[in-house]
Amino acid sequence: MSKTILAVDDSGSLRQMVAFSLKAAGYQVVEAVDGQDGLEKARNQVFDLVLTDQNMPRMDGLTLIKSLRALATYQRVPILMLTTESSDDMKSKGRAAGANGWLVKPFDPQKLTEVVKKVIG
Amino acid sequence: MSKKKMLGSHVKQLLSGVSDHGNEHLLELETDLVQTTILLAEAIEKLGSSFLALHAAVSNQQEEVDLLITYGIAPEASVERLKLIQGDIALHINSAVTSLQFQDLTSQLISRTVQRSVGLREVLSTLGLVGDVIPHDGGTDEIAVLLKEITLRLETQSIELKKLLRKAVNQKHLDSGDIELF
Repeated sequence: MSKTILAVDDSGSLRQMVAFSLKAAGYQVVEAVDGQDGLEKARNQVFDLVLTDQNMPRMDGLTLIKSLRALATYQRVPILMLTTESSDDMKSKGRAAGANGWLVKPFDPQKLTEVVKKVIG
Repeated sequence: MSKKKMLGSHVKQLLSGVSDHGNEHLLELETDLVQTTILLAEAIEKLGSSFLALHAAVSNQQEEVDLLITYGIAPEASVERLKLIQGDIALHINSAVTSLQFQDLTSQLISRTVQRSVGLREVLSTLGLVGDVIPHDGGTDEIAVLLKEITLRLETQSIELKKLLRKAVNQKHLDSGDIELF
């Protein structure tokens, strides 16, 4: 059975490209429009990996990661940030919040799937 | 009218002029940026749909080509050529997916610019409001004190605006970004 990834981003076009790239690599993708939506979906289903943006309305990526890490079911689930943010300060905050990796937008689909494969197989 | 009275009137006129004209131009700027955002949103939606439809069509075509190759119908030279074309298509698809992320970056930059413009209009409104307080017949000292107050208020507003508008997009090209695993 293929692994399922939760893709959280407020940009529809970005979610479309993430879903296209990961589905082509054999993964199932569930989309969420912001951190709040992502958290609600994550509470209903345990995903194999969460890929989240940082700057979103209602709930940002760092808050989402902290909220997920507070759930027993998400303590070991890999979480990757996919964001325009590239500063060391933001990366440190991401790491402290519990992110397992940081990808700066725009992403190359081949590199994205390579990283995802490396993390969840 | 005395020189003192004239100075008060001129300062009032200058401040309200800067405030009114500035507001008018910034409003126009915001309208253009909102219009640009709408056009870019429509463009990316159409480009995204076209891209997915094109990819699906190319994938279907490839399946048919693979069948021809499997049944030995395609000439040997064509088979090699088709494999090269297949490689080229994969490269172009990768490149298109990276480029099609432009709207995520541009919309954030435009949104930040609109927010800055709104903030600037608030700063300009301060100029207009303080200008209203300046008496027509105010003395030079009185006007100087009010102008100093305006300067301080503008500085404070400007600093607050800067704090509010942290830059989240520093990309200057649509090249793929760095990846770091912790």
